[in-house]
Amino acid sequence: MARLLVQLKLRLLLNALHSSRAAKVSFIISTIFAVLLAVGTFLALASYRGKSTSVDLTAVVFTVFAFGWLIAPIMVFGVDSTLDPSTLALYPFRTRELITGLLAASATGAWPLANVIGLLGVTVGLASGALGLIVAVIAVGLQVLFCIALSRFVTTSLASLLRSRRGRDLAAFMIIPLVALYEFFTQVVPRAAAEGKITAASFTGFGSWMRWLPPGLAAHAIQDASDGRPGLAFARLGALAAVIVVFGWLWVRALSRALVTTDTTTQAARVRGAKLPLAGLGLRGTVAARFWLYQRRDPTSLVYWALIAVITAAVSASSLLGHNRHPAVILASAVFGAAFVGIFHANSAGLTGPPFFLEATALSRSRDLRAYFSGQNLALCVIGAPLVVAVCFGLAAAAGRPGFGIEAGPIVLAGLGAALGLSNLFSAVLPYPMAKRAGTPMLVAAQGYGAYRIGSVLGTLAGTAVAATPVIIGVVQTATDSDTIRIGVMWPCAAAYGFALALAGVRLAAAAAASKMPELCQVAVRSAMT
Amino acid sequence: MNNESAPGIPSATALPRYQPETGGLAVAVRGLWKKFGDKEAVAGIDLEIAAGSLAGLVGPNGAGKTTSLSMMTGLLRPDGGQVLVNGLDVWADPPAAKAIMGVVPAEVRLFERLSGEELLEYSGRLRGLLAAEARSRAAQLLDVLDLTEDANRLVADYSTGMRKKAALGCALIHNPSMLFLDEPLEGVDPVSADVIRRLLTRFVASGSTVLFSSHVMELVEQVCDHVSIIDKGKIVVSGTTDQVRGGKTLQRAFIDLVGPRAHDEEVLSWLGSSSS
Repeated sequence: MARLLVQLKLRLLLNALHSSRAAKVSFIISTIFAVLLAVGTFLALASYRGKSTSVDLTAVVFTVFAFGWLIAPIMVFGVDSTLDPSTLALYPFRTRELITGLLAASATGAWPLANVIGLLGVTVGLASGALGLIVAVIAVGLQVLFCIALSRFVTTSLASLLRSRRGRDLAAFMIIPLVALYEFFTQVVPRAAAEGKITAASFTGFGSWMRWLPPGLAAHAIQDASDGRPGLAFARLGALAAVIVVFGWLWVRALSRALVTTDTTTQAARVRGAKLPLAGLGLRGTVAARFWLYQRRDPTSLVYWALIAVITAAVSASSLLGHNRHPAVILASAVFGAAFVGIFHANSAGLTGPPFFLEATALSRSRDLRAYFSGQNLALCVIGAPLVVAVCFGLAAAAGRPGFGIEAGPIVLAGLGAALGLSNLFSAVLPYPMAKRAGTPMLVAAQGYGAYRIGSVLGTLAGTAVAATPVIIGVVQTATDSDTIRIGVMWPCAAAYGFALALAGVRLAAAAAASKMPELCQVAVRSAMT
Repeated sequence: MNNESAPGIPSATALPRYQPETGGLAVAVRGLWKKFGDKEAVAGIDLEIAAGSLAGLVGPNGAGKTTSLSMMTGLLRPDGGQVLVNGLDVWADPPAAKAIMGVVPAEVRLFERLSGEELLEYSGRLRGLLAAEARSRAAQLLDVLDLTEDANRLVADYSTGMRKKAALGCALIHNPSMLFLDEPLEGVDPVSADVIRRLLTRFVASGSTVLFSSHVMELVEQVCDHVSIIDKGKIVVSGTTDQVRGGKTLQRAFIDLVGPRAHDEEVLSWLGSSSS
């Protein structure tokens, strides 16, 4: 059984090399990243040798790996068919042999191997002496086994949920902390480390509580063995093994249940107020109502708004954290925040996906399409304007210069108008199908359309920046004037300017879209849905 | 029914029912042609459907049914040919033609995050109905389609049959004179299929026209008064159901025309309880 599932996993991996060019490229890139992970982790762990905090740093790395094993399968569920017990439920397997098989299949592949090789860096960085080396190898084996058991238990427990709409929503939301973590590690940590705020000693405190977590047990067992405390080392390994047994048992229970439990998709929720809001306000209001409901109910839309907030904050974060603060960078945040509202909503047909046929069969005239684009902009503006302005005010308050919030406001309003107009224009002239890819529950540009995506991103970003420039100049020129002038004149003028830009975008986009509705429809039909 | 339009709404549904000028044809297709790369998906088809008929378009997988229907409904630009729906040229004046037709595509992908009632109302509003009228028609259609209990559930949580019924509701809400359906009963349970069948029969009885594609020969034979068989992008035969059947069952006539698969049963000698 184990051999069969391992062969299945290997066959699936090898098939990737014989399938489409996209799958082949994806497989090769994934393997390269796995090799980089193995080498990078090995070198990082090896470099801790001789440091007083090496055991704490090792425990942190082990914990990060366990976290990765926990998150990654949830993100790619539905792509790796060996993760879903329901695919094997039809076969006459006993739970025990299924467990053994799934465990072996989990440990097969480039990424599990990269984990083992990378973590073996502890044999250089933390272990010393023969006993230390032996315990290090055992600890790495147990650590990987713990990761697999934990990951399998969680995915099996969530299997029916993850097959459901709510599960897919949950997977989409996990993008937000990952992006926030990415921004934290790329924007905040390097600056803090450069200023000496984060050093190896910063991890000392982790030891007190992390040593009792399974990854910590593995790391501390190596140190105990290296320091000549074999009893304590093996006691820790025993405790870790016990945790693995507990997770294994829980996994068996979850698997037994998952194989005979109904799909939660049949337990549907009801929505409150089934009437379409704003529907009495003509076609523009009707389209705005549909977009408004989607901003609330579609997890992808909610994720986009959260990402806009994160990006707006991240643009300024690195400049606001150091000793030499530059509050003026908040103005850049205003431009980026507004631009990303447009960037995330360009390519309307591709993002709407196949349901766009319903709109395409009803709307063809330029007049109807103007209402369509302006309705969409209305819904996005109602959320986007207060969100980006609020984040800018928050950044200004964090910088200790609340006045910069007042200066950022007009830039947001003008930028938002430009960004929405440009997103309409790109939706009409540069549409492309969206696809689902392994590793992310979010939709991405379909294979071969990356250039379209890059074009619309850079075009919207550059266009927004250029369009916002007069307002930025105005804001800088009136920086020393009273708040009455800045709020009373700059804000309404910028809003009117932004409105005019959005209106121009809507008119141009509607004229362009009216002549190519069949093409837009085909783009939508070829797109995947979240 | 109230076809009055709200300000700012396209007045498609306010158009009077078109009376065909020549020969009472609801659909007239001339030399419709489409090529994808080297593959000729639709190779110059001609088709005529009389107004007030319930017509079936049948053919094997990959025959060109969906491509043909997409071009007839203005959703896929043809490489050549002409499509007239109730006398309106679909590709010369797409908005006018779209206003008098309803479409249910094969793979029904609707706005998943709207409730069933919101979806039908949205569709009605897009088609120019006043809000109150759209709500009223949505409620009536949901009732007839047996979806009232699920009216405020998200479409994402609907079964295949419920989605097909909701899509049919969207296609009918503006009271089109021509309805195109691509595989309307694919994956639909018998009860839902019966609901859809009765609704289509009633729709045609009022003088409207339906053209649908299907694999289910029994259904086509049972409900259609006109059948066209398409194979390899060409209409092989077209006429009344009796003409196409030629005294046989439609299934038999279809297989005779399109050609059966090679028989390979003899290689499965191990199959069956009598074998070891």
